[in-house]
Amino acid sequence: MQQLMEKIIQSALDRGASFADLRMTDGTATSIAVEDGRADKVANSRSRGAGLRVLVDGAWGFAPTNQPDEKELLRCAADAVEMARAAASHVTDPGMVAQMEPVQAEIGSSARIVPSQVPLADRLASVVELEKAARSEHPSRIANTVATYADGSGEMFLANSFGTFLHFASIGTSIGVLVVSTDGTIRQRVSERRSNRSGFELVEELDLEQMGKTAASKAVDLLSAERPPAGIFDVIIDPKICGLLVHEAFGHNSEADAVWSGNSILAGKLGEQVAAEQVTIVDDPTLPGHNGSYTYDHEGVPAQRHVIVENGVLKGYLHSLETAARFGVAPNGSARAQGHQSQPLIRMSNTAIAPGTSNLQQMMSEMDSGLFLTGGYWGYVFTAQGQFTCNVEHAYAIKNGQLDTHYRNVCISGRTLETLQKVTAVGDEVHYELGGTCGKSGQSMPVDAGGPHVRISDVVVGGQSSQ
Amino acid sequence: MSELLDIAQTAVKAAVAAGAEFADAYAVSGRSVDVGVENTSLRDSEVIRDYGVGVRAFYRGGMGIGTSQSLDHGDVTECGQTAAEMAKVAHPDPDFVALPDPAQAPHVEGMFDDAIAGLEVGRVVDWCRQAIEEAQAIDPQVRLEGGAALSVGSSALASSTGVALERSGTSVSMTYQAVVLRDDQVGAYFEYDAARQMSDFVPAGVARIATEQALRYLGGRSVGTKRLPLVLGPFAASSLLSAIIGSASAESIQRNRSFLVGKQGEKIASELLTITECPLVPAGLSSGGYDGEGVPKQQRDLIRNGVLTTYLYNSYTANKAGVANTGHASRGGYGGSVGVTVSNLQVATGDRTEAELISDIDEGLYIAFGGLQPDGASGDISATVDFGFKIEQGQLAYPVATTMVGSDAFEMLTRIEAVSSDYRYEPGIIAPSLLISDVQVASGD
Repeated sequence: MQQLMEKIIQSALDRGASFADLRMTDGTATSIAVEDGRADKVANSRSRGAGLRVLVDGAWGFAPTNQPDEKELLRCAADAVEMARAAASHVTDPGMVAQMEPVQAEIGSSARIVPSQVPLADRLASVVELEKAARSEHPSRIANTVATYADGSGEMFLANSFGTFLHFASIGTSIGVLVVSTDGTIRQRVSERRSNRSGFELVEELDLEQMGKTAASKAVDLLSAERPPAGIFDVIIDPKICGLLVHEAFGHNSEADAVWSGNSILAGKLGEQVAAEQVTIVDDPTLPGHNGSYTYDHEGVPAQRHVIVENGVLKGYLHSLETAARFGVAPNGSARAQGHQSQPLIRMSNTAIAPGTSNLQQMMSEMDSGLFLTGGYWGYVFTAQGQFTCNVEHAYAIKNGQLDTHYRNVCISGRTLETLQKVTAVGDEVHYELGGTCGKSGQSMPVDAGGPHVRISDVVVGGQSSQ
Repeated sequence: MSELLDIAQTAVKAAVAAGAEFADAYAVSGRSVDVGVENTSLRDSEVIRDYGVGVRAFYRGGMGIGTSQSLDHGDVTECGQTAAEMAKVAHPDPDFVALPDPAQAPHVEGMFDDAIAGLEVGRVVDWCRQAIEEAQAIDPQVRLEGGAALSVGSSALASSTGVALERSGTSVSMTYQAVVLRDDQVGAYFEYDAARQMSDFVPAGVARIATEQALRYLGGRSVGTKRLPLVLGPFAASSLLSAIIGSASAESIQRNRSFLVGKQGEKIASELLTITECPLVPAGLSSGGYDGEGVPKQQRDLIRNGVLTTYLYNSYTANKAGVANTGHASRGGYGGSVGVTVSNLQVATGDRTEAELISDIDEGLYIAFGGLQPDGASGDISATVDFGFKIEQGQLAYPVATTMVGSDAFEMLTRIEAVSSDYRYEPGIIAPSLLISDVQVASGD
C-alpha cells in the first residue's frame, strides 16, 4: 500500500505539483431503525476509494475515485494537476502549506467491542429495547417513537509529499431515540442521542431503558408547557446549550480558513478581549472518549489541545497546513475530511467553555427574573456577521431565584462577541453532551461540545407570546 | 440496455436469488467539476467521479438495504445479497404490499445538455474570474467566496416487478457570498444561479448582485419586541412553504408525527395561497418523469385556495392507506434509502408587486432569508431573521440584526394577506413574496 501511494504522490510531483497528499479509505457501516415497535429498516453499506490533492503554482487540485487501483490513481494524479493548472493563472492569493517533518505511525481504534463482531440480531435487540422503553412510558400520550443505531468501521491510509505515511483504524457507534408526544391537539418532540468514537461498549454501558423513558417523559412534559415568550432575557444555559453556543457561535469563527477569507468576526483580534473574563474556550481532540477525539488529523499533523480563548482574550485559531503557513504559525492538527470524496477542512473537535467558579444554584439565587434554557438539537451561524441561532428544547421562567413556568421549545439568537461579553457567571462543572456531527461545506464530521452552566444577560428569545 | 441498467438488474437478481421477495436497485454514475473562490481569489478546482449502487430488498415486508461504491460485478452481486440478508433480519411488516409495477412515464425534455457535458474547465474558471472582477468593480475590498460547478450524471432504476428505467441529466450552477466591511460594520449577502441548460444559465451578475446586496446590509440594528406585519421575500417564502409541504409526507402523517395530521382536504392557509407541483417542466431544476420507484409523476395542486389537497405518497404509504400513489418517492443517490420529495413548486401569484405590498406598510419587517421552517411535529416557528430589513413608512428603512420571529405554521399560512405579482424564477420554479399580518417579533430595543 505504502509503495503504491508513494508512486502516485511522485507522479503528481513529476507533473508539477509542489505538494500532494493521498488518502485511501475502506469502510463498512451498519444502521438499524426501529419505529413503533418494528425494526423496519436494516442497512449495510460499503465505501472505498481514494482522494488525491495537489498544489500546483498556488492553486489546489483535487481528484477522487471509487476505484483505487494503480491505473485509476495515476489518472487522478493527471486530473488533479490539470485541474489545478487550469485555475492557477487566475490565483491572486496563492495556496501554500506549512512544512512538516514526515511521520509514520499506525493509529488504532480505542474501541473495546468491535461492532461488526457483535451479532446483528444482538445489535438490533438493543435498538428494540430502547424504542420499547420510550413507547411504553406514558403510552396514551406517545404518538411516534423511532430508535436508530449506527456503527461504522474502517481504515484510512494517508501519504503526502513530506514522506508522511499513516494508517488509521477507526470505529464509531451511535444510538438515539426520537419521541413525538401528543394530547390530541398539539405534538411535541424530544430526541436523545449518544455518539462516540468507540465500539459497541457505548451501547452496553448505556441504561437504554432509562434513556427511552427519559426522552418520553420530556416529550410528554412539553405537552403541558406554555408557548415561550418573545423578548430580551437574562438566561442560564445548560451544558448542552453551552456546547451549541461555543461550537456554533464562537467555534466556527475560530477556524482559520474563515478568518483568512474575511468570513470571521475574529479576524485581526488575536490578543484582544473578545469575551468576558470568566470565559475560557478550549478545543481538545486529545480528550479521551469523546466523539470529536483523534490522534492525528487528516493532513498527518498530531492532534493537540487548543486554548482559543483564555480569560476572555483570543489566543489562537484552528489551523490546517495551509492556514498555518498563511498565518506563519505551526500547524495544530485541525483539518479533517469526511471521506475520500472530500478535501480536508478545518474542523472543531471537542469544544467547550472551561469550568468557572459558580454553580447553577448560585446563579439562579442571584436572579429576580430570567429564563433557564435546557436541551437543544441544533444551531447555525453566519460567521461573517457573527450572528448565531441556537435551538432550545425547553425553558423555564426564573422568578425570585426559583424555577417557575415551563415553556416549550424555542430558539435564541445573538451576536457572538456581544453575547460572550455578557457572560456574568460560569459554573464549575463541565459536561460534554453534544456528541454528534457538524456540517461544513457539505461535509459531516464527528464532534462533541459542552461546558458548564453559564449565565448570560440580554439574550434574544424568539418565542410566540408577548410578555 | 446500458451498462448502468445492467448493473441495477444484476443487483436485483442477486437480492431475489438470496431470498428477497421484492427488490429494487438504483445505480448512479456521475462526473462533476467544481471551481472554488476564496478570499476573492481562485482557490481550487476539482473533478469528482462518483458512482455506486443502492439496493432495497424486502422479506415479509421488512426492508434491508445494501450500498456499494464499487460497480464491479462481484461487488454489485454481493450488495444485492447483503440487502436480502438485512431484510431477513428486519421485522416483518404487514403494511408492505408490493413494489410498483412498471408504468409508462412521461419524457421530460431538456434535462441533458451536450453543451454542459462538453464544457472545458477553463470556461468554468473564466466565469469565476469574471465574477471576481464584477464584485471588485462594486467594492474593491469585497471578500468573495463561492464558485461554479457543473455536473453530468446518469441513473438506472430496476426492480423485481419489472421496472427498468434510465435517465441522464446535466446541471450548472454558480453561488457567491460577498462580505463587505465599513469601519466596524459588516455586510454580507449571497446570490446564485442554476440551470440544466446552458441557455438558461446566466453567470454574469451573480457576484455583482451579491456584492450590491451585501452593501445594503451594512449596519444592522434591532427593531424592538412587538407584533408586526411581515413581507417574506422569495427565498424566505419558498423555504417556509417548502418545509410545510414536506410535512405533508404520508410517512409522517401515518406515523402521527406531523402537524398536518388530519388536515388533508382542510383549509390550512389563506385562500390566496395555491401551490402547484410541476414535475414535467422542460429543463426544470427538479423535473423528472418518474419518481424514485419508477412511478410516473404528474402536475397537481398541493394547496389550492388554502386547502391542503393531498398528502405525499410513495408505494408503501399509498398501499398502507389504500389510496393512489402520488409518485413522491425520492432517491437522492445510491444510498439505498427512499424518502419523500416534491419537484418544482410554483406558487400562484397575486395582483401587486412586492414593492407595492411594502409601500402600504407603516411599520413592518422584510425577511429576505431566515430559518422559518416550522418544527415538523408541533408546527412551531422560532426563527432568526438572518437577512432582513425594517419597513418604515412604506420603505425598506435599515437592515435588522438579532431579530427573531415566533409563530407557527398555521398562523403564518392563515395570515397571508397577499402574494406578490412579481417573483423569483428558476427553471420550473415560481417563488413570489408573501405579505403576512401581525406576527410576533423579538429583538433588542
